[in-house]
Amino acid sequence: MLLNSVILILREVLEAATLISVLLVLSLHLRGGVRWFWWSLPVGVVGTVLLAFNLDIITDALDGAGQEVANAALQTLVYCFTVGIVWLSVGIENGRAQIRTLTIFMALAVACAMIREGSETMVYITGFSAVAEHRTAVYAGGAIGAGIGLSLGVLMFSALRALDAKLARAACLVLLGLIGSGMVMQSTMLLEQVDWLPAGPALWGSSGFINEQSIAGQLLYAVFGYESSPSGIQVALYIASVLITAAAYLVARGRKGPVHVD
Amino acid sequence: MIKRAFLLLCSLMFLAIPAVAKTPVIELEILDHLFHPEEVRIPANTKVKLVVYNRDSTPEEFESYELNREKVIMGGRKANIFIGPLAPGVYPFFGEFNPKTAQGRVIVE
Repeated sequence: MLLNSVILILREVLEAATLISVLLVLSLHLRGGVRWFWWSLPVGVVGTVLLAFNLDIITDALDGAGQEVANAALQTLVYCFTVGIVWLSVGIENGRAQIRTLTIFMALAVACAMIREGSETMVYITGFSAVAEHRTAVYAGGAIGAGIGLSLGVLMFSALRALDAKLARAACLVLLGLIGSGMVMQSTMLLEQVDWLPAGPALWGSSGFINEQSIAGQLLYAVFGYESSPSGIQVALYIASVLITAAAYLVARGRKGPVHVD
Repeated sequence: MIKRAFLLLCSLMFLAIPAVAKTPVIELEILDHLFHPEEVRIPANTKVKLVVYNRDSTPEEFESYELNREKVIMGGRKANIFIGPLAPGVYPFFGEFNPKTAQGRVIVE
């Protein structure tokens, strides 16, 4: 129970921590500060509690597809915000966008990601801490898992901060594009699970190469939404998402010229 | 000629739609952090709907890396999970909240 709690919480925290550290580094480079992050926390916590405590009602909604549709919607929103953030980051450097809009997008992206990852953790912790014999293991394991996840996030943050400014900015934008597209891949899987999207046979099986349960697999999952046996639609939508993000970057870069005053 | 063949093909496809069999439903239970039955057999290349009833008071998460599926099932509730079409093989699944005991597999044949 203890080890299981560690792994479970670590997995969820790692996903959120990856996104948060990339966004914090990007924000610092664009002089957006870190204040927006403190605003995303209460929104994320309230959303997490609301989703976790209504999960049984949500699950039964939409003919039993509610849970998947809610989670897929959150992940798709995170993706949309990441595209917006890439677009605005370029705009800010050209003097065409407001830093305020960017930080609002960042706060909303983090809040949505927190709700998605947090609700599952919340269901687990509240469900099993109610059983007396599991309580200590769940709390201790959860704390250790969260600690490791946060440490990895801080490590990633420091590594990105240590890079030369131009390189760091490029790394953040690339990572953001991949994290966002990974979210689309995961939401595709969720919609296939409730038959809202047609499921096809797996395109390939790479579990012998990198197992999703391994540490490398989990890290790749957190950053790229790695699947060892993805369906054709999952891969197609992932590629489309990466291309849309790249297009947003290129179009924003091409929009040079006089500063637009709103 | 090609157009006529195409139209014929299209009409055949529409005719074929009502003939498609309904998605088979397979029911599973979670009791004392165990899956009942532990082994589910389904035909290859067919979409199947799993209905998983959680008879425990604690929540469980149905998870399978091989099937690409994950779903939280609250205590005393049920969940629908569509799987397939799948190639023949063994696809393990487990309860993420109790992975030591809650283990099962889908056998596609």
